[in-house]
Amino acid sequence: MEFKQVVGLRRSIRYYVPYRPVERAKVQTVLEAARLCSQAINQPWARAIVVYRDEMPEADREALKVPTTTAQLDMAPVWIFWYGDPSAPQTAQKSLKQLVDIGALNPSHGWSHSYVDDVIWPQVLQPIAGDQATLLAVTAVEAGLAICQALLTAVDEGLGTQITAFNSAKAKEILKPADHLIPLWVQLLGYAAEDREGGGVRPRAPFEELYFEGQYGHPFERDDAVVDKLKKEGMIMPEAPYKWRRDEVLALARQFGLPE
Amino acid sequence: MTVTTEAGPEFSLPEDIGELPAVKHWLEAQARHWNRSQEEADRRRKLDTLRSFCVIQQIDPDALVRSLFRPTPEGPRIKLKRRRIVMEQIAEFEAKAREETQDVRRARDTGNVVRSFLIHNGVAMSAPVVR
Repeated sequence: MEFKQVVGLRRSIRYYVPYRPVERAKVQTVLEAARLCSQAINQPWARAIVVYRDEMPEADREALKVPTTTAQLDMAPVWIFWYGDPSAPQTAQKSLKQLVDIGALNPSHGWSHSYVDDVIWPQVLQPIAGDQATLLAVTAVEAGLAICQALLTAVDEGLGTQITAFNSAKAKEILKPADHLIPLWVQLLGYAAEDREGGGVRPRAPFEELYFEGQYGHPFERDDAVVDKLKKEGMIMPEAPYKWRRDEVLALARQFGLPE
Repeated sequence: MTVTTEAGPEFSLPEDIGELPAVKHWLEAQARHWNRSQEEADRRRKLDTLRSFCVIQQIDPDALVRSLFRPTPEGPRIKLKRRRIVMEQIAEFEAKAREETQDVRRARDTGNVVRSFLIHNGVAMSAPVVR
């Protein structure tokens, strides 16, 4: 798919074809994309544990649910549990010098091994690593970049996907992630049982309320010609709800025996 | 209406539980959400099913909803343990219907009536997916 169409078509899919498995190659492709995301200090901030629904004992499956994450876990055959790794800065001294060595960080921009050893490491990274609030914020943002690429790649692979909450205490017992990892989201993968457009683009805040030019509060004015172009290219799609959405959801609920 | 159960003392529910606040709210909210008017036969079936569940559990529908929330200074909060218990009660109710009817779909509809009542009264729950 074209990149803009992938962005345009991504929805949080909540109805999956429960009996159709996801090819392992597609799961790997999703993870490969996450691995290639932008990452501060060129360290991996995200970890993922792939779980196959039908290989889990029923009690474990139930234990991982939270009140808002129920039927979709039953329906999606693959669950990817995403964690953030706040220990990433601990090896940044080495990874930053590696970036110097391969020509990614260059003297033209002030970078050298000495700068990493004498300035960046003691004056920037060590204080960040010691400041829990900053470290958590950075970890969440950086892991989020990996998750975003995983989401978009799932769409590109023709899958339905969604990130949602999970019972992290139970996940700790069942999945046994390393103690220092921070639970973030579970990403569901499966073939969408609902229309992939999910009944339309979810409501979004007005563009000009979100993005500014020059100074906060001065809206970045939206050019209608750009909007029209993006509509033609499939990035901006019609807004929800499509007229038939309620009927679709009702039919799905009845198909899968879900409450109305 | 007074019902005598095998399980315990007499337990009473009004003749028309459709007029109880939580039940009325459910029926109105559900019809509004799905943009469909309720046929009388369907309404009667739902009320009869909810009544059966409430009789088994010895609790009226309003009290059932109240039992799932605890008041806090910030507003009502869901009682998660109680929710799990009620979910199990619904599953048992559904299993009993399955035994009686030998029909998975019909039994599921029975359980889903109670689930729907709770959902539209603010208690999130779902049902195992019928594959």
